[in-house]
Amino acid sequence: MKKALSVISAIALLASSVAATGCSKKDEATTKDGKTIINLWTFTDEVPGMVKKFMSTHPDFAAKYEVKETIIPTTDGNYQPALDKALQAGGKDAPDFFCAEAAFVLKYTQGDMSSYAAPYKDLGIDVDKEIKDADIAQYSVDIGTNPSGDVVGLGYQATGGAFIYRRSVAKAAFGSDDPATVSAKIGGGSGSWDKFFEAAAELKKKGFGIVSGDGDIWHAVENSSDKGWLDGDKLYIDPKREEFLDLSKELKDNGYHNDTEDWQDAWFADMKGEGDKEVLGFFGPAWLINYTIAKNCGSWVDTGEKDADGNAIQELDTSIGTWGDWAVCEPPIGFFWGGTWLLANKDSKNKDAVGQIIDWITLDCTKDGLQYMWANGTLNGEGGTKDSVASGTVMAMSDGSLDFLGGQNMFDVFVPANQYANGKNLTQYDEKINQKWRGQVRQYTAGNKSREDAIKDFKQEVADELDIH
Amino acid sequence: MKTKLKGISYSKYGYLFSIPFVVAFLIFTLYPTIYTATLGFTDCRGVINDNYHFLEHPFENFKEILKNDSFRVSLKNTIGIWIANFIPQISIALLLTAWFTSHSNEIRGKGFFKVVFYMPNIITAATVAILFHSLFNYPVGPVNDILVSSGLRDSSYYFFTNKMASRLIVAFIQFWTWYGNTMIVLISGVLGISPDIYEAAEIDGANGVQTFFRITIPNLKTVLLYTLITSLVGGLNMFDIPYLFLSGGPDRATLTTSVFIYNLAFSGNYIYNRAAAASMLMWLLIAFFSAILFYIMRDKDQIKIDKEIKRAKKEAKRAAKGGVNQWQL
Amino acid sequence: MAVVNKKASSYAFKIFAYAFCILLTVLSIFPFVIMIVNATRNTAEIQSHAVSFIPGHNFKTNWNILMGRGFNPLVGFKNSLIVSVGSTACNVYFSTMTAFALVAYDWKLRKPFFTVIMAVLMIPAQVTSIGFYSLMYKIGWTNSFLPLILPTIAAPTTVFFMRQYMIPSLPMEILQSARIDGAGEFRIFNQIVLPMMKPAMATQAIFCFVTSWNQLFMPQILITKPELRTMPMMVSLLNGDAYKTEYGSVYLGLLLTVIPILIAYFLLSKYIIEGVALGGVKG
Repeated sequence: MKKALSVISAIALLASSVAATGCSKKDEATTKDGKTIINLWTFTDEVPGMVKKFMSTHPDFAAKYEVKETIIPTTDGNYQPALDKALQAGGKDAPDFFCAEAAFVLKYTQGDMSSYAAPYKDLGIDVDKEIKDADIAQYSVDIGTNPSGDVVGLGYQATGGAFIYRRSVAKAAFGSDDPATVSAKIGGGSGSWDKFFEAAAELKKKGFGIVSGDGDIWHAVENSSDKGWLDGDKLYIDPKREEFLDLSKELKDNGYHNDTEDWQDAWFADMKGEGDKEVLGFFGPAWLINYTIAKNCGSWVDTGEKDADGNAIQELDTSIGTWGDWAVCEPPIGFFWGGTWLLANKDSKNKDAVGQIIDWITLDCTKDGLQYMWANGTLNGEGGTKDSVASGTVMAMSDGSLDFLGGQNMFDVFVPANQYANGKNLTQYDEKINQKWRGQVRQYTAGNKSREDAIKDFKQEVADELDIH
Repeated sequence: MKTKLKGISYSKYGYLFSIPFVVAFLIFTLYPTIYTATLGFTDCRGVINDNYHFLEHPFENFKEILKNDSFRVSLKNTIGIWIANFIPQISIALLLTAWFTSHSNEIRGKGFFKVVFYMPNIITAATVAILFHSLFNYPVGPVNDILVSSGLRDSSYYFFTNKMASRLIVAFIQFWTWYGNTMIVLISGVLGISPDIYEAAEIDGANGVQTFFRITIPNLKTVLLYTLITSLVGGLNMFDIPYLFLSGGPDRATLTTSVFIYNLAFSGNYIYNRAAAASMLMWLLIAFFSAILFYIMRDKDQIKIDKEIKRAKKEAKRAAKGGVNQWQL
Repeated sequence: MAVVNKKASSYAFKIFAYAFCILLTVLSIFPFVIMIVNATRNTAEIQSHAVSFIPGHNFKTNWNILMGRGFNPLVGFKNSLIVSVGSTACNVYFSTMTAFALVAYDWKLRKPFFTVIMAVLMIPAQVTSIGFYSLMYKIGWTNSFLPLILPTIAAPTTVFFMRQYMIPSLPMEILQSARIDGAGEFRIFNQIVLPMMKPAMATQAIFCFVTSWNQLFMPQILITKPELRTMPMMVSLLNGDAYKTEYGSVYLGLLLTVIPILIAYFLLSKYIIEGVALGGVKG
């Protein structure tokens, strides 16, 4: 009897879900109150938050359109397959516009899926003029330009990287924490690692490490190479990237770092200065400061009290941790790390509307545009997180000074940093190839195989899994 | 009357009862399977893959896969990790089954233990991978902390660059996830054995060990076959943990065939045709090993049944000839 | 003498058994403890020491973040429940039926059919998924629970298990006598066979429920409407980019996802522990 009941209830459930889906199929791409639906596909709630702000500041637009978001995180690797299928299937559930992260954006702007990206000029955006006016970071434009030369995607952040260092360590080792001095010590702007390693030796003598792990210098190495991983359709190991084997080994053998792996416990510990030895700094863009290092600086203390919603209140206790003990300076080698690009679907029926949103987010360089709010942390009211944005014009009129950096204006360093970032040495396979490369480097650094074997095995892996020889 | 019941007229119900399965199978499984199988004979690759053609040399993909170094490595890894996982798993599961269904030695709290041992199977693989990764983290992590503070080592050990250590950890995670599941399956199989047999054995003075090996295991044969086959299939198709834990690293140490196939198909170059060919090869391999298992297990069943049928026939003949004499005794 | 020895060895055996089981218990429970503890800590604490047994003070904070991110546990719970109960019911019922067909009746295609079922069981799942979701997009079954539930009607593993379980334990005599009494086959199946298969069905029901509840890949590819999200999908939303993941809330979400499974397990395990003895064959 019980089983019969469960069968009946199962069938009832099926019937109701069929009914539910049956109903939705009759829907047009409009909501009940006649607004046109625009589909946004993304992988975090960052862009949806921006869209909400856009709707609240553009009531005319909000009266006519509603944006429906589909959020699928990239962490389980499900975003791209779903996005690809949705783009290919078309129809009313297909995205009108979507986000792509730095790790895979090339696939959608220049690679296999680039035929689905709509050129910005087709969205009613006067691209060339606006890019000039907003002084968009060149690497972002390079990445977002499709093979026909049209701009199909732009990022809202600028993720050019700098060297983020501990003032106290610099003072103890070099006698000064002034950005210009530290930069000179590590060879800022020189394009070479030589001075950097000299500084590392100097720090070692005083009992400090220069970086936390080899991952910290990898982004700089990767992005500074002359060519990417592909030469035509052959695998190419740029000498600057091959050098990473030696750089990593040198760091490890001489104990210049704490041998941590990025995004693991020990890496975060070094942001508090609680690692094996204290570390001079990290390489990273502005988001690393505010989202990662600031949150993990160890100066946040639980007051034990709760606010009205029950959230635990934390306060800053600058006597512990590393708050305020940081500064940024020019790195020896320019690079960029991360970022999100916005693209529009070529088959979208709402190109004009989409164009308005994208323009506001990526190109509008007035004080009402997203760029300005993002840079000054005013998207959700005052006191939000500041970040460096793609528009140089906006950066110039924004204030990037942070308490965390002891009052330094981080834009002074990050704006020029964006110019150094290279958007021309990337391929759509980078995510996978980089993973294999770093794996082999780690084996060599750990002493498990010879340098030649590491390279040989790397080539083998890439040939076997990606059919790139 | 009896002939009507034994008649073939009931066999149509065999077909009838199978219809739901067949229909669902045709729609949801057969189409995707054939689609994938045919891909193995084409040049289909790339994200946009509607335009593909059959290869001139139909088995080219299969040859390429067999030559592929990473595939060979993954095959060795898969089998190795599976053996390292399965042997402890089945041993401990059998041991626990014996303890928890023992009529002679009651273990109290076995209900509690049964629930607890199954719990690792409830957590998603993604979570398990994160947790174990955190456990063995380098240079700071709980296991390393214990190793160093207890004096077993002077400094932290980088588990994730050591190939054998990584394999063993993956094997352990698989064991840890599935031993409770296997135990439950075996216990439910034991519960299907009539208690009369156990009562008779106890009267005869059999102890726990004898009962287990002479009664429980032979009667568990059919369920054991299920366990062996599903473990084999699951093991050779091992994907979640190797993929999520170290992405098949370090240096392909934990690369299993499923991870290799997935990488071929979904990351980078979308080489669907080779992935499909590799899947077919794996499938053949699994079918081959399964057939062996079936053969090993089936033989004894057949022999038993055949013997019984022969014996029954002899009894029937004897009864027919001189049955009256037996009753007289 | 023999009695004393038996008592002593039984005692020693029990000590060993309990010690071993307690060890396994610790091994099996520790991740749950970690998850519970981490649900009370905030992201920075977790990022610096992922594993800790010392609880934090951020439970409510994590809860607020969870709710704030559009994680509506009731909706997710309802959706997951529909999918999982539907899948489990279809899976167990139809598999038992199919196994019954394989065991109770003698028909010409019986052996080949079983061979096909076994063959299907051995196919690696990842690659057939391409064909599966291509098909679902083609017939427009996206944003529906149907493609998540109906395929479980054909579940080779469950069929295999039920068949193996039935072979030694299906009492043909009872079926014969029921037939003599005039019962139809379908009635025999539902009213006589099913109750006897309870331990086996309960076992497979648990496995099917857990698998279906935790499923993430297919739902994420096929379901894009927020109101149809299942719980694992909602929890995965908390995984932003690496620098924005709210780890405390993630662990809290994971815990919430696990609790219904535990409840289902406790409910179903009664059938397994109770153990319906196949008394049918007695006498």
